[in-house]
Amino acid sequence: MKHITHSEIQTFNLGKKVASQLKAGGVISLTGELGAGKTVFVKGLAVGLGVEQVVNSPTFVLMKIYPTKHSTVKQIVHIDCYRLKESDEIVNVGALEYFNRPDTVTVIEWAEKIKKNLPQSRQKILIEIKNVNDREITIT
Amino acid sequence: MIKKNSAIILGIESSCDETAAALIEKKGSRFSILANTVLSQVKIHRQFGGVVPEVAARNHLENILSVVNKTLIEAKIKPKQIDKIAVTHGPGLITSLIVGAETAKNLAFAWQKPLIPINHLKAHLYANWLKNKTIKFPAIALIVSGGHTEIVLMKSNINFKKIGETVDDAAGEAFDKVAALLNLGYPGGPVVSKLADKGNAQAFKFPRPMMYKDNFNFSFSGLKTAVLYEIKKIPRINSKIKSDMCASFQQAAIDVLAFKTIKAAKRYKAKTIILSGGVAANKLLRKTLEQQATNNQLDFMVPEINLCTDNAAMIAAAGFFEKSIPWQKLRVNPNLEI
Repeated sequence: MKHITHSEIQTFNLGKKVASQLKAGGVISLTGELGAGKTVFVKGLAVGLGVEQVVNSPTFVLMKIYPTKHSTVKQIVHIDCYRLKESDEIVNVGALEYFNRPDTVTVIEWAEKIKKNLPQSRQKILIEIKNVNDREITIT
Repeated sequence: MIKKNSAIILGIESSCDETAAALIEKKGSRFSILANTVLSQVKIHRQFGGVVPEVAARNHLENILSVVNKTLIEAKIKPKQIDKIAVTHGPGLITSLIVGAETAKNLAFAWQKPLIPINHLKAHLYANWLKNKTIKFPAIALIVSGGHTEIVLMKSNINFKKIGETVDDAAGEAFDKVAALLNLGYPGGPVVSKLADKGNAQAFKFPRPMMYKDNFNFSFSGLKTAVLYEIKKIPRINSKIKSDMCASFQQAAIDVLAFKTIKAAKRYKAKTIILSGGVAANKLLRKTLEQQATNNQLDFMVPEINLCTDNAAMIAAAGFFEKSIPWQKLRVNPNLEI
């Protein structure tokens, strides 16, 4: 399904909306260039799941884990593959242990860099810059 | 038994892409650096456009013992003269942190020394103690690096409270990503500030995100996106435009960093401003914050440039303020907070 957002806030709200339909154990892969709004989307998703901490960029540490206030999703794992060169590097970070865990939602930025290690069943989100502030967000 | 008035700590650091060891001696309240070795992997990672975690971990593993050994030889210190071992246990890249932590554990076990886990962010602040100047409290500290941007209130030399942080990208990350958008290579900080020296900081009107929000948080993601929009508008980007863009971006980032730090200092009636972390090597940031601190009658502390970027001297310095634990209990934590 395609969505068009016209501002950061709308991208954030779309993330929040997607969160309301998420099931525990879900894995979401995010693709989009620098500045597309991937982290904004994840912030919306996290707020939608009841995360109270500040969700900031995991680029430096690769993976951040936040507890939630959701009835079935107990934690959200935020992964950023921007710095990775080989798909298997994600294994040593310990990320695979969280994929499809029944109390966890995992969301992966720059997911195309670890194609080989991504679970088959996942929600794919593509964010494309259409114009200043306008984004086309495809969810499949 | 007479209590010894001096002690020597071996510091070990491997949280990102620098393999480092240092020996610090403290006599009374005076610190001296006996040896400080930093092996940077910047050249290795430059070809990939950034730190590659797996490559970093492998290089730490290959080099860490020779870095420790070189430090001992340079300081002319034998293991039996070392009192304690201090090591970074977070935050950082998990695969990199493990190398330093395991090495420190091994040495602590073999040499029978107390082992002290160190928070890398606090250590950035303790780098200022190596200057042997009196620091007046309360102090407001700005920690800026590739992975962190935080304002910390220090009520004493062991009392830390985070009062603000970035809500998205770290300042150093924004420098790196802007450099990537302009095809300037890695690391972004030095190359952006070098080009900025030749550019016009007024050429582009970039936003100052969160400047007037009533908190001490930062946001650099929108600033990065604003740079992206400008790049997309211009059909051909020549070196003049690149320099202007770097200068305008750098000015915007520094304006917000300085403004919020001074605001925090006023709010908490601080007597000192402390600047630290890798981005504290940025000359304009040092100059701007020093000037604004002076204008507000505040002391200003910033480490020498080689002690701003990652190093083990600051880890050893922090060791004098923290408690040791049994080596069996040492765990790394990539998301450790201040």
